[in-house]
Amino acid sequence: MATQNDSSTAAGGFGRVSRTAGLLFRYLLLAATLFGLVVMTVLLLYVANDAFQPLTADTGWHLTYLATLLAPAFAVGAHLYRTNAEALQTGALAVGLVVVSLLFSGGAALLLVDVVVPLELFAVAVAVLAPMAVVVAVVSRDRALSFTAQFATTVAAFYISLFGLPGPLESLLGLPSVVPSLVDAVLYAPYAPDPWLAVTLVVGGSVALAGSRFVAADRGRRTQATVAGAVLVGIALGAFVGPLLGVDPMPATVVAAVGIAPPAVYATGVAANREHERIGLLLPAVVIAGTGLGALATDALGFAGPDSWVTWAFLTSPHSRFAEQAGFYPAIAGSILLMLAVAVLAFPVGVGAAVYLEEYAPENRFKRVVDVNISNLAGVPSVVYGLLGLGIFVTYLGRSAGTILVGGATLGLLILPIVIISAREAIRSVPNDVRNASYGMGATRWQTVKNVVLPRSFSGILTGTILALGRAIGETAPLIMIGAPNVKFAAPTALGEAASAMPLQVYAWSSLYAGEEFYQKVVPAGVVVLVVILLAMNSVAIVLRNKYQTGE
Amino acid sequence: MSADDLEEALTRRTQNAPPELLSRSFFFACAALSIATTIGLVVLLTGEAAKFFSFSAPLVGVTGETATVVEFLTGTTWEVTSGKFGVLALVTSTLMVMIGSSIIALPLGVGTAIYLSEYASPRLRSLLKPGLEILAGIPTVVYGFFAIIYITPALQSFIPDLGTFNMLSASIVVGIMIIPMVASISEDAMSAVPEELRQAGYGMGATKFEVSTGIVVPASLSGIFSSFILALSRAIGETMAVTIAAGSQAKFLNPFNPGSYTEAAQPMTAAMVELVGGDITGGGIAYRSVFAIGFTLFVITLVMNIISDLVAQHYREEY
Repeated sequence: MATQNDSSTAAGGFGRVSRTAGLLFRYLLLAATLFGLVVMTVLLLYVANDAFQPLTADTGWHLTYLATLLAPAFAVGAHLYRTNAEALQTGALAVGLVVVSLLFSGGAALLLVDVVVPLELFAVAVAVLAPMAVVVAVVSRDRALSFTAQFATTVAAFYISLFGLPGPLESLLGLPSVVPSLVDAVLYAPYAPDPWLAVTLVVGGSVALAGSRFVAADRGRRTQATVAGAVLVGIALGAFVGPLLGVDPMPATVVAAVGIAPPAVYATGVAANREHERIGLLLPAVVIAGTGLGALATDALGFAGPDSWVTWAFLTSPHSRFAEQAGFYPAIAGSILLMLAVAVLAFPVGVGAAVYLEEYAPENRFKRVVDVNISNLAGVPSVVYGLLGLGIFVTYLGRSAGTILVGGATLGLLILPIVIISAREAIRSVPNDVRNASYGMGATRWQTVKNVVLPRSFSGILTGTILALGRAIGETAPLIMIGAPNVKFAAPTALGEAASAMPLQVYAWSSLYAGEEFYQKVVPAGVVVLVVILLAMNSVAIVLRNKYQTGE
Repeated sequence: MSADDLEEALTRRTQNAPPELLSRSFFFACAALSIATTIGLVVLLTGEAAKFFSFSAPLVGVTGETATVVEFLTGTTWEVTSGKFGVLALVTSTLMVMIGSSIIALPLGVGTAIYLSEYASPRLRSLLKPGLEILAGIPTVVYGFFAIIYITPALQSFIPDLGTFNMLSASIVVGIMIIPMVASISEDAMSAVPEELRQAGYGMGATKFEVSTGIVVPASLSGIFSSFILALSRAIGETMAVTIAAGSQAKFLNPFNPGSYTEAAQPMTAAMVELVGGDITGGGIAYRSVFAIGFTLFVITLVMNIISDLVAQHYREEY
């Protein structure tokens, strides 16, 4: 900047500028920016230290991991940073993907072991896919079918498949069951697939389909089918490898499908499609090999690891009055179910409202009222939403207090304004040209929304929704207000069951069980688990957004 | 096929065709749900609060214990067990959290916004902004835990007579919590200041410091101000951090006396959590008092949000 240089030609003080004030101001601002971040980082380090207790490990343990994991990973990272920054990004993304998908596979395994019966999942999946196939077949046979006929076919096919004939009326009217629903037919079929097979087909099948699209996007159907088949076989293999490692076949397939397959597919895709970034895969390879090698070496040499509080036992056992035995499991399960309920309730409604406001609403008083209303709702304190849940769902409608359904509805209302606002932003960023092009082709408004607007804004909507869900599972006050139990000793198995949640459990530990043991060890462990899960969700959202912004 | 038939087939009105009608009504219903939420909130809160006050309780057909509006708004003792409902004891604590957190968050938030919009390189900004987002995404219960476990003991080495529960550390964590909010809204306002204004400043021989403080900040003052109000309303509604860190004893303190920050007190939100956490079921004056506090809280935050909107709209410079 010319003005910041001393100008020697000017006479006297003219043109002389003191840089001190500017520099001082600049560093003051930098300090202000970093203050919150630094304070929070220090606090998080403290809490991680309390939770993992790394200083209790042998020196040999630290040195072993330094030699096998940290030093090689750092060396590879530094090399990539200097030679090929894009490859480094790809590698870091792959490492992150491994961590995040292992985390999610844990959650999925938990759901399938304790809450959802795999066979029921399989039955419902069959009962949803079969009518879809019927509808597609009918429509492709007669393309001129009227909307009413299409709609009737769809409704009828789904109704028969999910409920059978005469369905729910059967018990009301005392009619005999004429046609059993497809769900029941699968459930009571003479041959039922094993749980692991059911999981492989449903969860593994969807992962394989998505994966084949990623790896062989532009290589023809045949390659895609081969890739999908290979992924599916790989996931099914989990059922046979798992028992060798001491894991039951069913959870092993879940971990294979959700935890291992996505990073493996990502790595294969990068190796096959992006020659330039292939070298970046060295980073995850070194990290995984280093972790395994370190574990083997410390085991063989007899070095004791840290006396961490975030252990398998902590993650899988219920709460206890004694710090030694206290676990987080029912709270984790409760949070996962709550999140599912919130997502199911808030996502369609939020996106629907955003579509209405951006695509349909005429500029009239109603739209202005809704506009103002949404921004005000976003500012209502969460504890007041808790009152809404308590007053309407619990007291007025007489639902039992603290169930997942009530909690999900309350938190769903809480994040609805946030979902609407972010979805509106995503929809607004779809350029008007593509809308007009669609209208120019004679598309109706709904066709334009369905085929143009929603697909193009989908990743933006998804990002906003994930961030909002993160907010929802971090909330405690509304759950307290609707009377969610502080302490639960078993994971909830149904939506109508009262459930605790991770932040609520942390609050209970830090208030009801306030004591040295709980403060120093159990609560930090809970906080670390909660923060790690939230950070994983937020980083997924941020990565999605960055991809979407550069993709435009 | 005659020309008329062809035209008929090609120009079919689709506005009210079944798929259009179905999708439009679904989207409309979704948007209307947000209005229904507000109506539900208002009706519920006013209804329950009406049962709480003695002047309105007979109107809604409620007999039993009630409290007078005068007692509620001017009383300085909040003791549910002995029937004393002076909300000022809670409001002053909330006010203290608001003042304490704004001392931290307002200067730091505006500083962050100026740095991000004027000084930071794009690369640094792409690191700092997600960092701030993560700061905003950490659950409030975690902030409360940090306050009581790490911040209070650290402060106790400077201020020996600081209790385990105190307003000071509660205000500090709430302040840190709302920095990202001040920063992001203010930064949006600053980025909206047109480049020409800055260039004009440089053309007049101003330094970057002078441009930032003399041009960008005044030009975005309305945005900065509305970010202040929104952040303060967030601080008022903040629940878990103050519930854990501030204590559970309602006490009437002078918010403008720095000495009172070392004491424990109970902000409005913390009182609501404590009352519901105790055994109160539907009905009863304790249950209704929660709604009375909630009503007060709702009105305060609503008024602040509306003021913030008005400030942003009225004093916005149109470029």
